[in-house]
Amino acid sequence: MRRTGYLELIWYKGMADLHAEAARAYVGFIWWVLEPLLYMTAFYVAFGLGLRGGGVHTLTFLLCGLVPWKWFASTILSGSNSIQANTGLIQQVYLPKYVLPWMVLVTNGMKFLIILGLLLLLVATLHGVAVTWLALPVIVLVQLLLVAALASLAAALVPLLPDLSLVIDNGIIVLMFVSGVFNDVSKLPPTLAHLLSFNPMVQVIEAYRAVLLDHLWPAWDHLAWVALFAALVYGFAWRLLQRFDRIYPKVMMS
Amino acid sequence: MSGDTIIELKNVGVRYRRRAGFMRSNAFWALHDVSFDLKHGESLGVIGRNGAGKSTLLRLLAGILAPDTGEVMRKTERVSLLALQAGFIPALTGRQNAILSGILLGLTKAEVEARMDEMVSFAELEQFIDEPVRTYSSGMRARLGFTVAFQADPDVLLIDEILGTGDASFREKSSRAMREKIASDKTVVIVTHYPETILDLCDRMVWVEKGVTVEVGEPRSVVEHYQQSLKPGGRRP
Repeated sequence: MRRTGYLELIWYKGMADLHAEAARAYVGFIWWVLEPLLYMTAFYVAFGLGLRGGGVHTLTFLLCGLVPWKWFASTILSGSNSIQANTGLIQQVYLPKYVLPWMVLVTNGMKFLIILGLLLLLVATLHGVAVTWLALPVIVLVQLLLVAALASLAAALVPLLPDLSLVIDNGIIVLMFVSGVFNDVSKLPPTLAHLLSFNPMVQVIEAYRAVLLDHLWPAWDHLAWVALFAALVYGFAWRLLQRFDRIYPKVMMS
Repeated sequence: MSGDTIIELKNVGVRYRRRAGFMRSNAFWALHDVSFDLKHGESLGVIGRNGAGKSTLLRLLAGILAPDTGEVMRKTERVSLLALQAGFIPALTGRQNAILSGILLGLTKAEVEARMDEMVSFAELEQFIDEPVRTYSSGMRARLGFTVAFQADPDVLLIDEILGTGDASFREKSSRAMREKIASDKTVVIVTHYPETILDLCDRMVWVEKGVTVEVGEPRSVVEHYQQSLKPGGRRP
């Protein structure tokens, strides 16, 4: 198959999974919107009212953390399972394994864009629109690169080390609490803030908040660091997927 | 081009590892020592009992697996299995699945769409093509699966059993379509444990037993030796 064939495959399969998901659940499409809303409400009650005293700003502050976080977490979880989920397929047809996490990236990326659209409507209503919104596509792209890198790495490793999926499940939960989803990392004690700033998701979430809530330009140097980190991780994941390309179908069978 | 070697296997072995507890695994050799070549335009039959390693051999030829020992030389990358119902998603319509499966088998979306009417009529699914595949009977699903898989046009087509699929009348129709394709100058490898079904179709025959090639040659004599080995007291390799 040609390269363009794989692009078409990733896109069509990603969208097909999206259709299938919508067709399977009774409320289908509505569920994608409902789920983060419920999630957000629970955290608003628990953290917003409890710790920050509530208010409109707390609501949008939490949402600007939760929406990108949800995209990050759900894509890495499904991505880590993407080779196993296609066991039958890769026994029937040769596919380069790097395409499998990309199918998840398309499905989840489209869901994220829909939810991001709703978030933008809400933020525009409550805080207005600023010229700094122009930086949004760059932030989304940097996050896409980060999510692609980690999802591909997880996809490459989990079939070889099945126990790793437990580590990932729990690691994601721990990571949520140190990614600034609920709190402003820059307001923490300096040593801790400095330490947490090495977490790429802290930088991504801060960039969304700067642009949408504070109407400031994002910290470009921090975003560049995230992009560089993601590129290195993707490079490593790519090499693993190439190295084990024709081994995965055997591992899956045993 | 006809007659040139397109794929060559030299003393090929494939090993699976079975996990047998923490940090331990057992090796299992599905193929030990398989050697034969495939020539452009020929139809090659592969026979052998259950567990002889035929499915592993097909996956090896298709490039899904790499050999652990020996060598595979190929002059083309376009070698693929007749992959029935590849990637089907039950919640999607027959039409969407046909496109998805077609793209997986190396066609473009535009190519699948251009052939859609012809495919729908071959699969006899005119009234159902826009219904979700989960509402199909297994026969309908098999008809769609075969029809789409049959559209793929690799340089080397690998077939696991030629018996056809679906309900009785479609089985005959699909089997006839396969026979026509094999009889054309297409390069084909057919794997079966019913040698008499392919005897008249193959130019050469390979007999594989317990992961080892026992004999390669003229179909009738290879099949005869194979069948003798099946009889009680027959010569076992």
